Amino acid sequence: MKEIRLAWPVLLRIFFRSFLVQASWNFERLQNLGFFYLLSPGLRSIYGDSLSRDVCERHSAYFNTHPYFSPLVAGTVLRLEAKAHAGEETTIDAETYKQMVMGPFAAMGDALFWGGLRPLAALIGLLIASQGSLWAPVVFLVLFNLPHLLFRSGGLLLGYTQGLRAIETVQKCRLPDLALRLKESTIILIGVLCAYLSFKGCEHQDLSAVWGFVLLPVVLLFAWLAHKGVTSLFLVLLTTLSLLLLALLF
Amino acid sequence: MSIVLARIDSRLVHGQVLEAWVPYVNADCVVVANNEVAGTSFQCMVMQAAVPSSLKLIIGTLEETASILSSAELLKKRVLLLFSKSEDALRVRQLGASFTKLNLGNMHSSVGKDRYTCTIALDQHDIEKLQQLEDQGVSIVSQCVPADREQNWRKLIRSGVRSGYR
Amino acid sequence: MVIGDYMLAGLMAMLTGMDRVALIQFMISRPLVAGPLTGLVLGNPLVGLEVGMLLELLWLGRLPVGAAIPPDDTQVAVGATVLALSMGPLIGVSGMPLLILCVLVAIPLGKFGQVFDRLARQVNDRLALNGKKALAAGDYSGAERTHLLGLVSFATASLATAVMIVLCGSFILSLTAPFLIDAVREAGLSLQYSLILVGAAVLLGTINVNRSISLFCAAFVGTLLVLWLR
Repeated sequence: MKEIRLAWPVLLRIFFRSFLVQASWNFERLQNLGFFYLLSPGLRSIYGDSLSRDVCERHSAYFNTHPYFSPLVAGTVLRLEAKAHAGEETTIDAETYKQMVMGPFAAMGDALFWGGLRPLAALIGLLIASQGSLWAPVVFLVLFNLPHLLFRSGGLLLGYTQGLRAIETVQKCRLPDLALRLKESTIILIGVLCAYLSFKGCEHQDLSAVWGFVLLPVVLLFAWLAHKGVTSLFLVLLTTLSLLLLALLF
Repeated sequence: MSIVLARIDSRLVHGQVLEAWVPYVNADCVVVANNEVAGTSFQCMVMQAAVPSSLKLIIGTLEETASILSSAELLKKRVLLLFSKSEDALRVRQLGASFTKLNLGNMHSSVGKDRYTCTIALDQHDIEKLQQLEDQGVSIVSQCVPADREQNWRKLIRSGVRSGYR
Repeated sequence: MVIGDYMLAGLMAMLTGMDRVALIQFMISRPLVAGPLTGLVLGNPLVGLEVGMLLELLWLGRLPVGAAIPPDDTQVAVGATVLALSMGPLIGVSGMPLLILCVLVAIPLGKFGQVFDRLARQVNDRLALNGKKALAAGDYSGAERTHLLGLVSFATASLATAVMIVLCGSFILSLTAPFLIDAVREAGLSLQYSLILVGAAVLLGTINVNRSISLFCAAFVGTLLVLWLR
């Protein structure tokens, strides 16, 4: 039997469905139903009327990965299913593939998007917002979502066209190293933002900007506390209460 | 060599470990002790692709891990040790790995397991293995990410079953 | 604000709330966006922008990873914006002191978000079971519909959080504002900046890089020198 190729409209539907992959996120099976929902149009066109419960059950089992990586996984899984349906042997079947990649892909996505890109875009947005400009949220959304949407659509195509070999392409991109670069840029921008605010604060109080340097150890102390697990809520309360007290006393 | 964190996590290398725990405990080496993973080159490749080049990742069978952990190779490393299930943790400990604290992260539910917290499901077998570990002087706590509160596993068991998957 | 405004704000709370996990994750759930959006539908986006700025960094480092649920900064931003626009005229305060008060009151109330979010996901446990049953019965479309029902639980949780923040917030504000407002006015700008600085410090402390301290210090000192000597 010849391997069935998915038509463009089907791939497009899968792409749009990937936006809803976490709609029923739950503690029992995490993204299990979501992943079935994502694959469903593809599975239907591969298996047609012969879509069996077996296939559905294995794609609604425990599953969780980074949501932006789900189209990439779906692409490869559908390719593997199409091959399996055509009776072609693959080194790894779709079910095993899913189990193998979900953790590592989640790690990559978390580092790249949540840990890397999002803080960077947010800091750029914040620097614009500190000028009182309403462009801030727009710039933030564009900076974040261009790579996001490219990654979702590119991932689906890559997974579907290359099948298991997609992982080699992903590996070549060295995404975790890219994430590190993004994080380092974020840290530099945090430094810039803090210095800018210190400068503004001194200006407002008619102090020389030298006093701004006093804030450096304070910020570092707070960063250390946060690193040790002290919550933002506590730090906010600590800061505001002491500032309010100072304001009342002097 | 020092094991800065030993953790049971059925998802092994994933975001919570790399993004939250690695910076929190300042680890510079992650060791995955798992027979199945070590035996599948594809999965080793995927896992290697997930860590930055500044972080060393070692994947081995339980026996291999135990001997690597006591070798000179990791002498100056701060190691984060990962297992996928309780029996692996017990086995590696019996083979000589010296951790005194075990973190329960994600132990996902399956038929026959009872859920004690949102992320931890155990059956009688798990409880026995953890009990043995505790008898050997390992303190066992549940904590999903550093920002969560650490809780002794005894407390979980006593507070009873949240829900079972049938 | 009239009833219609509250309904629009509620709609915004649900939309931005779903964006956190369930729908698209386009990041309109970030305070920097959710604040101005709520402000926009209520006719004053700048108030929302200021609120968003104060809140954006505080929980940015808390990743939505796996089953770990961070405090609901989205609804804190939505709630604080609504509070600022609705309570201002009532308690006779305006401008930055009002915003700071609203944000400070809303921040601890974000805890409600964690509770409701957890509940929503537990409700979804039932959906997962129902979906499994539908699949076992061969009802594939039924399973897909069950999946989409999850959106309702997330939207409800978000709305509930926003309502709690606005209700409790209004109550607390009307009680405490008369006593606090002078001190807040006095502390003024320093309070505003310190909130952002606390957020920056928390982000710095939670980010996963070896050289973070030296990079940060270099950037800080460099920038301040340039601004000072300019």
